[in-house]
Amino acid sequence: MKRDAMADIVPAVRPRSRRLTPARIGVYGFLIMAALFFLVPLYVMLVTSVKPMDEIRLGNLFALPMSPTLAPWRSAWQSACTGLECEGIRGGFWNSVWITFPSMVLSIAVGAINGYALSFWRPRGANALFAVLMMGAFIPGQVMLYPLVRALAAVELYSTLPGIVLVHVIFGMPMMTLLFRNYYASLPEELFKAARVDGGGFWRIFFELMLPMSTPVIVVAAIMQVTNIWNDFLLGLVFAGSDNLPMTVQLNNIINTTTGERLYNVNMAATILTSLVPLALYFLSGRWFVRGIAAGAVKG
Amino acid sequence: MVAIRKNRAACWSAYIALLPMVLTVLGAYIGTMLWTARVSVSSARIFPTGDFVGLGQYERLFRNARWLLSLENLAIYGVLFVAGCLVLGFLLAVFIDQKVMGEGALRTVFLYPYAMSFVATGLVWQWILNPELGIQRVVRQLGFSDFTFDWIVDQDKALYTIVLATVWQASGLVMALLLSGLRGIDDELWKAARIDGIPVWRVYVSIVLPLLWPALSTALILLFALVIKLFDAVVAMTQGGPGTATEVPAKFIMDYLFGRANIGLASAASIVLLTTVVAIVAPLYYARAKAVQRGLK
Amino acid sequence: MNEATRRTRAIAAAVLATACAGTWAAPPAGPLKATVSHWWTSGGESAAIRQFADAFNAAGGQWIDQAVAGAEQSRASTTNRIVGGNAPVAAQFNTSRQFRDIVDQGLLNNLDDVAAKGNWDRILPQTIIDVIRINGHYYAAPVDIHMPAWFFYSKKAFAQARIKDEPRTWEEFIATLDKLKAAGLIPLAFGGQVWQEKIVFDAVFAQLGGPELFLKIYRDRDVKAVASPAFRNVLVAFRQLRAYTDPGAPGRNWNDATALVVSNRAGIQIMGDWAKGEFSAAGQVAGRDFGCFPGFGVKAPYIVAGDAFVFPKTSKPHVVAAQKLLATVMTAPGPQAAFSARKGSIPIRPDVDLSQLDMCARMGIAAMQDKARQLPNAEMLVEPDLNGALQDVLTNYWNRKQTPEQAQAAFAQAMKDNAW
Repeated sequence: MKRDAMADIVPAVRPRSRRLTPARIGVYGFLIMAALFFLVPLYVMLVTSVKPMDEIRLGNLFALPMSPTLAPWRSAWQSACTGLECEGIRGGFWNSVWITFPSMVLSIAVGAINGYALSFWRPRGANALFAVLMMGAFIPGQVMLYPLVRALAAVELYSTLPGIVLVHVIFGMPMMTLLFRNYYASLPEELFKAARVDGGGFWRIFFELMLPMSTPVIVVAAIMQVTNIWNDFLLGLVFAGSDNLPMTVQLNNIINTTTGERLYNVNMAATILTSLVPLALYFLSGRWFVRGIAAGAVKG
Repeated sequence: MVAIRKNRAACWSAYIALLPMVLTVLGAYIGTMLWTARVSVSSARIFPTGDFVGLGQYERLFRNARWLLSLENLAIYGVLFVAGCLVLGFLLAVFIDQKVMGEGALRTVFLYPYAMSFVATGLVWQWILNPELGIQRVVRQLGFSDFTFDWIVDQDKALYTIVLATVWQASGLVMALLLSGLRGIDDELWKAARIDGIPVWRVYVSIVLPLLWPALSTALILLFALVIKLFDAVVAMTQGGPGTATEVPAKFIMDYLFGRANIGLASAASIVLLTTVVAIVAPLYYARAKAVQRGLK
Repeated sequence: MNEATRRTRAIAAAVLATACAGTWAAPPAGPLKATVSHWWTSGGESAAIRQFADAFNAAGGQWIDQAVAGAEQSRASTTNRIVGGNAPVAAQFNTSRQFRDIVDQGLLNNLDDVAAKGNWDRILPQTIIDVIRINGHYYAAPVDIHMPAWFFYSKKAFAQARIKDEPRTWEEFIATLDKLKAAGLIPLAFGGQVWQEKIVFDAVFAQLGGPELFLKIYRDRDVKAVASPAFRNVLVAFRQLRAYTDPGAPGRNWNDATALVVSNRAGIQIMGDWAKGEFSAAGQVAGRDFGCFPGFGVKAPYIVAGDAFVFPKTSKPHVVAAQKLLATVMTAPGPQAAFSARKGSIPIRPDVDLSQLDMCARMGIAAMQDKARQLPNAEMLVEPDLNGALQDVLTNYWNRKQTPEQAQAAFAQAMKDNAW
């Protein structure tokens, strides 16, 4: 099912190919201007990351490097100091993976089930609880630190990997639930009713009908959770325990010195390196930003 | 319409499935807020004490000019940020949806700010907006010697620079949300609209936007939550300055929780912040819940 | 945790600690493990702390590094870990009142026998003893002395502005700044962040207002002194410096301000002695490319600040042994010299080998020998909450068009408000 360009109001021939009409140029023009705006900081970061510090001190932000070097990148990955050790950010890479992946899967699963139950089944009192959960989305995380530390310490989950995963699920629950609930609310209810008539129970309808249709929202949820958890610093620092510290702790140690000297080129390189995982996800997620999944189901 | 009897087994399943949510809400959220409320009526410094000082912390809070300014800043910032992200995100989603070439690359370009730690990107924005280092300098070097763009060092305008940088960071996510919503709209609708001769912009306004409402409302709530939690951007770009011009509640709370070792005051500030949010959001939510109940999604 | 439980716990812990403190518990076979939490993560700082780690390991310990960059974040992490029952063996704080509350809650081990063995009450400066000795017990091991208000200047910039001598009075200082401005340079390299503004203010306060006024206000909280004309003068002088900063100053990181001096675009920066790290990273040498002086004249006050390690409460014998070994090693002469040489600080004790220290550090040690010049840093006298409130007052005064009288009133109000 192809759709034409947003051009033709004129009742002319409606070709399926994309003609270069003024409106079409306008579309590309806007997108290119927007892309430039978005890319300026990345340009500065890239350029800064290959300049030696002497050039950076001169303060010519947008200038191309006079003597470019890849040393900052090497340093960021393997030799920048993060305390006594000078091993760069690579040490925390696998920790970040071990924290991000289960947290993402669990929080999406919980969000999907919550959204599904709230949207179609609507048990009594659930909406009130959901309202309170949504209030939780508005609490800055730092406020919850103290009591959560105490609570987790009481159940011996403080400074453990399951502990940090649980914390991420808790913090992600409001947005995930909201995401799925609103998505399911936009699906036609006839689907659900038909499935009930067909004799489907709670879990069967979920796994066989709703979940397969949820691909777009799962992609968005994955984007959000992977980004939030991968880039999370405070929760990982407080709850993960010294054996499981995520990469962001090393990143913080490289970038964020109080009274030490700052090597901006290394900082930029380290930041770009840490963001490669979410970036890869964004790029690869393209296949799922497709249309017509739900629509197709309705017609069928 | 076929009458549906919710058989009891399925209903129980629903309750059990929602158990994690119930536990989280009661334990983590309500429990935390109760604890915070208890601390906010004590004189706790680094650690909780058991004493009781009534509303002393709240009185001190509202005498604190920095707190009051942070609330005001949050309101201004909130409106601009949400509006900016929604508009930009919507436009980006709509334009990308037009079957453009290089959609994958474009989408990554708009989303990458979200992937990057704001500690570094915030510093880059600070540099770009600094009159001696960034845009003002470059434009002046190009010959426009009267050009000024020094918002970030201006007491009154620094907040707008935070809006700029955070809109840059968050619009991509809004775009992704709305794009997934757009992609869920049936193609038949477009065809039908075109056959009827409705102009495209009308289709967007009268048909698509209402259909996008779930995605839009998710985006709205997400943005609102980001506004309340605004912290990293302020710390990375202006540190709350110049002076206290870009102070925001989350930074105030964080400063007093740790740096200034006064969790009593920080707790009072948290309770006030939460109460304000509830006061604003609850009526809207209630109205919407009623609408949903009436079957209008 | 309620009061009763806390008290019982504290008493029990105290009993255990006393029982163990008397003896040097025989360590188990194998090195004494010590998880150390600190915020020194840059290249120079890492090299410095390596001196302590190496010395500790050589003495039979095993240093397990748990650094968290960002002083406030590091302290927050430490506090959370103490609350969660997973405290490090040693944690860094500033020699200040930051850890007072933790001591009051009975959550730190004391170091009385290490202090006795090391003769701390005789070799440490009184300003530091006053901070680490609480209720008669030593609770922190100081590891360095930093001076937050040095005046660094670029020799090339001075030459360009035809300035021959370092200023020795406030008037000469202003004249120097004027000459720099006339030469087209940035007179004062400045970063408009709250803590930097406080540093510059305290520098002006100490140099111009004098140590007596400084102590009267910060230590004695004398509200009348706040309202005095002398303090008003200090505020006026502080504000006067603003005209010598460049428009891009607000929000600037201190390193970027130092970079202005390094690249000879600015004349003077008022910053702590840690700034020497930036100069060395740029290959500059004290005395050759840049100069430094701690104040105006030979009697100028020398502000004492620094870092110290505290030892969270525990009664496990090998952990206590590790704590004592750590405290001993970190305050021993050899590691002290090696650490300070790389950190840019000066050692806490005068009986160390000074040959590794640079010109500015040696100036600092000479200043410290005159006990009358030692002036405790504001954070040693004022708890973090009030310190923050005073910073707010000063930053508003600096950034907005307030009169000195308004600032005086706000200053006094902040002191009253924070008297819980």
